[in-house]
Amino acid sequence: MLLSIEPDGPVPIYQQIRDRIVEAIAGGRQPAGSALPSTRQLAVDLGVNFHTVNKGYDLLRQEGLLRLGRKSGAVVRRDAASGPPDPGWVQDWTSRLHTLLAEAAAQGMPATDIVRGCRAAMTDFAFPAAALDWPGPSATAAEAGNGSEGLP
Amino acid sequence: MSAGGLAFFPVLVVGTLMCVAPASSRPTVQFGVRVPRERTGAPVIRRERRAYYRRTAATAVCCVIVAVTVQGYWPFWLPRIILLPELAADLCCFWVARRNIAAVKNADNWYAGLRPTIVTDTSWRTNPPRFPVRWLIPALAVMAATAVVGALRYPSLPAHIVTGSGHRVSKSAVSALVMAGQVYVTTVCSGLMLIVYRSRPDIEAADPAASTLRYRRFLAAMTRALLTLIALVDTTLLLFALRDWQVYRLSGIGRVLPVLPVAVGMLLLAAVARRTGQGGWRLNGNVRGLVLATGTDRDDDRFWKAGLLYVNRDDPAIMVGSRLGAGWTLNLGNPAAWLIVAGIVAAITGLAIIEAAAGM
Repeated sequence: MLLSIEPDGPVPIYQQIRDRIVEAIAGGRQPAGSALPSTRQLAVDLGVNFHTVNKGYDLLRQEGLLRLGRKSGAVVRRDAASGPPDPGWVQDWTSRLHTLLAEAAAQGMPATDIVRGCRAAMTDFAFPAAALDWPGPSATAAEAGNGSEGLP
Repeated sequence: MSAGGLAFFPVLVVGTLMCVAPASSRPTVQFGVRVPRERTGAPVIRRERRAYYRRTAATAVCCVIVAVTVQGYWPFWLPRIILLPELAADLCCFWVARRNIAAVKNADNWYAGLRPTIVTDTSWRTNPPRFPVRWLIPALAVMAATAVVGALRYPSLPAHIVTGSGHRVSKSAVSALVMAGQVYVTTVCSGLMLIVYRSRPDIEAADPAASTLRYRRFLAAMTRALLTLIALVDTTLLLFALRDWQVYRLSGIGRVLPVLPVAVGMLLLAAVARRTGQGGWRLNGNVRGLVLATGTDRDDDRFWKAGLLYVNRDDPAIMVGSRLGAGWTLNLGNPAAWLIVAGIVAAITGLAIIEAAAGM
């Protein structure tokens, strides 16, 4: 898995590490049971402080995506094929999604563009093709494949 | 020509290596200055590169001429002393080129509007490259042969023997120094390479997947060349020992025989470094699949003192890719690196003290 961060970007590095690993799990590049580098190794490879990586890994552990052990190291605990998420997590995620969509709406983004952006993003993840073929406001499956036209 | 007549050889080798070293550096690292990929063909870089080649070539020619001229009239060590001003002059050429490129880079703000990215390949840790232990066997075999021959010859040697340089020293000192030298070279070099295997790969943000593969090939090729060089250095020490143990006697041009293995090993290493380039950037590397980052390498010049020494306290790495030629250097911001430096210096000092005490 290639893991890239922007050290001078606005997002904290530990958050970027967490985000990239979540994306890799969702995209099937890092399936359940697969190993990740130890915190020290990843800190060396990225040239960042050990505690920064530790913080990112700890977030993933709290979210139930990573298992950290002294002997086994960092191992992906679950992925899309591991079954439905906990109800509590779904509630939390829905709340964050609501805020994310509110940001787009507040910025004046048309609903069709929001839906199209969602569909384009989901094509990157390990969803079955049939799961992406739901009826939307005006978007078609073909439009979804055209990328994130109109997105900032 | 005698062995003494080849005393200019180290001056020639150092001058040549310093002259061609920038050719192995990455295009995105010019004379110790990180530059964006879009600027690698900037006029200032081409100009400074040509000037560096001219200056260092002239320095090498002058130093070799001086070394050849003085070696018949001055003490034997004088041609070797010339190495110091030669190296200093070459470094000055490097720093002049670095200063001029950095000045243009800062004035034109080459990194404006770019998004510096750091990329790593986690498979480097989950599927790490294996250290080629088998390539250590020749060096260990030479050390074993030295020990066996020494044990067989030792009882029949006189208490004091005359070395190749004309000094009369005890046979125990000569024998101990040869063995210690072999152990030192083999241990230090292979130990440093083991650390390199645990260090981070030199990955380009603009081409992460392919550059990871290229780095794997670069590391494998350089390790094999270095372990071969270690075996050849041990062979040179064995040949010196055999001469001092009176196993053979050579005169005239034949006296350079012990030096030949080292020369061959250094040529081999230089050829591999030239072929691969730093981090393997000269190698072909095609990767099928996703490339997740197409960013620009981070401008980390502030961590490179004089363009050569890496000092970054926030970086936990002990060794990182070098900025001059192909190879690695220590992160002097890491206390572990200073422990390594202290260990190497202590071992060299110990060998020198033994040598001085033995009167060699």
